[in-house]
Amino acid sequence: MTLYLGRRLLAVAGVLVAIAAVTFTVFYVLPSDPAAAACGKSCSTDRLEAIRAHMGLDRPLWRQFADFVTGIFTGRTMGSGQYALHCAFPCLGYSYENSEAVWDLLMDRLPVSASLALGAAVLWLALGLSAGVTAALRKDSLTDRALMVGAVAAASLPVYFTSMMLIYGLIRTAGLLPYPQYVPLGDDPLHWASNLLLPWLALAVLYAAMYARQSRSSMIETMAEPYIRTARAKGLPRRTVVVKHGLRAGMTPILTLFGMDLGGLLAGAVITESIFGLPGIGRLFYGALSTGDQPVILGVTLLAAAFIVVANLAVDLLYAVVDPRVRY
Amino acid sequence: MNKRTCTALAAVLAASFALGTAGCSGGKQSAGGKDGKNPAAAHEGTAIGGTPQKGGTLTVLSNQDFTHLDPARNWVMNDMDFGTRLLYRTLVTYKATPGTQGGGLVPDLATDLGTPSADARTWTFHLKQGVKYEDGSPVTAQDVKYNVERSFSPDLPGGADYAARYLAGAEGYRGPAQGRHLDSVKTPDDRTIVFELRKPFAEFPNATVMPTFAPVPQAQDKGPQYDNRPFSSGPYKVDSYARGKKLVLVRNDHWDPGTDEVRKAYPDKLVVLMGLKANQIDDRLIASQGADASAVSWGALRPESAAKVLPDARVRERLLAESTNCTDMVQMHTGRAPFDDPKVRRAVQYALDRDAVLTASGGPAFNDLSTAYMPASLFGGKQPDTLKIPVTGDADKARQLLKEAGKPDGISTKITASAGDKGRAEAVQQSLGRAGIKVTIETVDPSAFYATIGDTENRTDMVYTGWCPDYPSGSTFLPFVFDGRFIKEKGNSGNHSLFRDDATMKRMDEIGAMTDTKAAAEAWQQLDGRILAQAPTVPVLVRRWPLVLGTNIAGAYGHTSFGGQIDYATVGLKDPAKSRD
Amino acid sequence: MTTTPTPASSPAPAAVPAGSGPWQLARAELRRRTAVKVSLAVVALFLLMAAGAPLLSSLAGWSPEEFDKTAVDPYLGGRPLGPLGGISADHWLGVEPVTGRDLFARVVHGAQVSLLIALTATAIVVLAGTAAGITAGYFGGRTDAVLSRLMDLTMSFPSLIFMIAMMSVAKDVNRILLMTAVIGLFGWPGVARVVRGQTLSLRHREYVDAARVGGSGPWRILTRDILPGVAGPVIAYTTLIVPGMIATEAALSYLGVGVRPPTPSWGQMIAESVAFYDTDPMYFVIPSTCLFLTVLAFTLLGDALRDVLDPRSGRT
Repeated sequence: MTLYLGRRLLAVAGVLVAIAAVTFTVFYVLPSDPAAAACGKSCSTDRLEAIRAHMGLDRPLWRQFADFVTGIFTGRTMGSGQYALHCAFPCLGYSYENSEAVWDLLMDRLPVSASLALGAAVLWLALGLSAGVTAALRKDSLTDRALMVGAVAAASLPVYFTSMMLIYGLIRTAGLLPYPQYVPLGDDPLHWASNLLLPWLALAVLYAAMYARQSRSSMIETMAEPYIRTARAKGLPRRTVVVKHGLRAGMTPILTLFGMDLGGLLAGAVITESIFGLPGIGRLFYGALSTGDQPVILGVTLLAAAFIVVANLAVDLLYAVVDPRVRY
Repeated sequence: MNKRTCTALAAVLAASFALGTAGCSGGKQSAGGKDGKNPAAAHEGTAIGGTPQKGGTLTVLSNQDFTHLDPARNWVMNDMDFGTRLLYRTLVTYKATPGTQGGGLVPDLATDLGTPSADARTWTFHLKQGVKYEDGSPVTAQDVKYNVERSFSPDLPGGADYAARYLAGAEGYRGPAQGRHLDSVKTPDDRTIVFELRKPFAEFPNATVMPTFAPVPQAQDKGPQYDNRPFSSGPYKVDSYARGKKLVLVRNDHWDPGTDEVRKAYPDKLVVLMGLKANQIDDRLIASQGADASAVSWGALRPESAAKVLPDARVRERLLAESTNCTDMVQMHTGRAPFDDPKVRRAVQYALDRDAVLTASGGPAFNDLSTAYMPASLFGGKQPDTLKIPVTGDADKARQLLKEAGKPDGISTKITASAGDKGRAEAVQQSLGRAGIKVTIETVDPSAFYATIGDTENRTDMVYTGWCPDYPSGSTFLPFVFDGRFIKEKGNSGNHSLFRDDATMKRMDEIGAMTDTKAAAEAWQQLDGRILAQAPTVPVLVRRWPLVLGTNIAGAYGHTSFGGQIDYATVGLKDPAKSRD
Repeated sequence: MTTTPTPASSPAPAAVPAGSGPWQLARAELRRRTAVKVSLAVVALFLLMAAGAPLLSSLAGWSPEEFDKTAVDPYLGGRPLGPLGGISADHWLGVEPVTGRDLFARVVHGAQVSLLIALTATAIVVLAGTAAGITAGYFGGRTDAVLSRLMDLTMSFPSLIFMIAMMSVAKDVNRILLMTAVIGLFGWPGVARVVRGQTLSLRHREYVDAARVGGSGPWRILTRDILPGVAGPVIAYTTLIVPGMIATEAALSYLGVGVRPPTPSWGQMIAESVAFYDTDPMYFVIPSTCLFLTVLAFTLLGDALRDVLDPRSGRT
């Protein structure tokens, strides 16, 4: 187990460095000029050159990349003179647009994206799994068909359509909810939830539909396995069979899916955050795109990759707990 | 809309526009008329909501963050309004008055509007006594000098360049970082500051309105991070600032209203909520419920929200739509083919359907068509129409001009527009297409827009951009847009037509040297028409800055010198008890 | 509760003559399903619409980029005149607010762009994925290890975020081409995994061994013996990833990094119409419905194909 874990962690680090290298190459080789973007309405060549030097863009690419990678582990000092910047560990670069270290920016936005992702995840797991399992256990019944038709339709709805309908129905017409506006959980849990409910719903509808379809087919497959038949033949109550044996094995493919989805969402749901105006990482990322704020783009991509890789690792470890067939 | 609501709407509009008729037959244009009074401009030059009460929290709903609040870097109209009216004081500032009188100057940190030497090359300002920072320490002349120096620093880009343009010995100066200082700014004592200029500049006090001339104490300077926490000399100080999310301002107890004739500082607290969706802000302010009643919008009303605002008299009562005074122009590269030929440029002038661009820009309620370069405020209220080109253009005449220029088959060209002007650019594209001028649009992110079009070598033949006078004088418009001597190969600004005409430049110098401001103003107006005849650019429209206010807002008007943004010096609440916390 | 396969999802042998091949069986089974017929019809309709876009819009009398100022009310922010977003004999689906451009013309041209990108990207993904999957599965060993690592790496990329970033960085390139390439770049590992699994199970079947013993080279075995064996799952999987591709194109265009104006695509049309969702609902509903119907039809079709062609695989 320890050996396995060690090997996996090493692989995780390798993947992250590879992703950093690819991302870095794409953004620093393709033409885009952050110094020019920072220079503003009336920009002299003189001033532009100075900013470029300060940003370190005149140095060879591999040096910039090497500085970047070492910075993550040790922190680094950028620029010189009175305005020298110390970018503390873990230094993911410095955003000139925001005059802030990328890591601080990301950590500042993370609670918003995490609130959105986790809340939505709870909703979609509850909705999706219960719908999927119900449908599977009543295969080909009217309930099954209704649930699956609903799931296919909901999975085909573009998230922006669902969002606008929710805004129209629940805010504009019924006035039940406020326009989403992030309130930190620590400040006021009730407002936190009521402001996020709508984005949660919008995201959850899409994912719940996918999970319902997935868990249904997975459950059907599991329930047809011989060991389930054995358990039933032994005379175990149906409940025990379904919950203890069926669900446990049937949920493994769901877990893989869930790891990927949650990992991806933690680093920002770009569309949902931009529709509802939530100041999360997705929004930060989108803003960085339009200002050409490359350090932030790089940082968000890396963070997202890290979340996905770590979520995958966590899922693999969880397998051992959930699926009795898996041992490391 | 269906026929019945159309009629009803037309009736409402007809009544409120004071129009005789507003036909609604056969699905033709239902509402408004070009000769009718603009319903959006009803509050032009007036304040809405009466005099505010002291106290409460004013909420500002914004779809974006500030570009810069660091006074050395702040050169965006709205941000300058917010910064100089709430957080820091400048040597001189604009009057807090609705209408064109708002362009007038009043001393702020200084005791008067400055004393020039005989040749207007040296300007002396004395600072008022008792002006303090948020920690109670006094504002000194050295702090003003220090911020002027900061504005030269390459680490702090974005700010106004008046100091660089006018101060003597400023060439090559790169800020105070290495302990180097500007000798042309002298501080004989703590409350006196003297500026030595490169050439006579009678309008120098107008330039000292810029945030460049606000004080920053050296001990508080944190380089680029100063942007996140400017040290206050105004009525409010930063309580918390989460970039892109929320800015909270609370009272600066050391600010003495006795030293300040401009800022009223009615609310106890200002909360700026950022990163919201523009359309959701519009909806919230139209509904104006709960805490939103005490809110104002930071950005202009979206054109698509016009249909929810204009027909409703109760919402219209809360609508400000002051002119931005910025002229949008289609600017052609006069330095190379095909636009080096004035005939081709005039063809564009005639082909352009300004009415279509106007519709794309939100319609006549939120824009005024432009028939001259300088905005109406520099023409004493109304632009002349010297060319008399129909608003929808004259495609036949344009084709004929192209034929005369030896291009009977038309031309193909490209236009660069900022992403926000995409709709306007599409209207330009469509209307020039009618005359055989095939245009391809390149949209550029707003942040990279000026850098892109400033590259004179690689930019497209046409650009869609405008110019706003920094203060009400022709000298901040025509020389910036049409003086060929300020063209830069990279980082070019203002003169995007790369127009270089000796007669024009000679005349500009003559007018610049005039001491009689009235004669100078008239001379600028005449020059405007003369340049227009050569068609380096086509003036299209002047936008308004429409804002819907919450029902609890008082003392709000669009300030003409801040691009029509609400004057944050005077805005407050009718009933502070109704605002949040 | 029943755990045995029910007639609905198993082929009904009585309907087909004895001795029919697997493909005929599949076709007969598909023909029995109403959902398949309906979704095929919808897919065909949109494909025809996309293919015949120029013809259709010239029939309606408007090009997708032509302004019609008489159809909008400039005083109300350019709201279309007339009911339902300006639907009339002149404008079959109404007009775009502000510009008065014909919505029908834009929707059919938008279909062209959206479907072109989605289908080409799918083709790239399927070709690359099948090639990689077969190679990894058949040759095994180091080849398999390298390709599998590459799949893992590609799947660890935050694909949407990365796609957006790439689209926004690249400036002067053919947007449609770039978008297709970028979408395709991140899609192949899914297909590759399915194909690899299938190939692994096929490569030691008797008939493959027989071919090998008979002296067939790897190329011949791969194309003659393995490829037909993986075709079923690949077809089903392909149909199921098309909706994802359409949705991705829409998402990129929605975020403003997709095709350039004035070229219409559904995602871009929806993005622009969101602001009008309450003042001109039809403008918002029409492209959204097109997108919804297409995605739905491909999903239903893919479900059915999977049931029939690849009954073992419940997982995608």
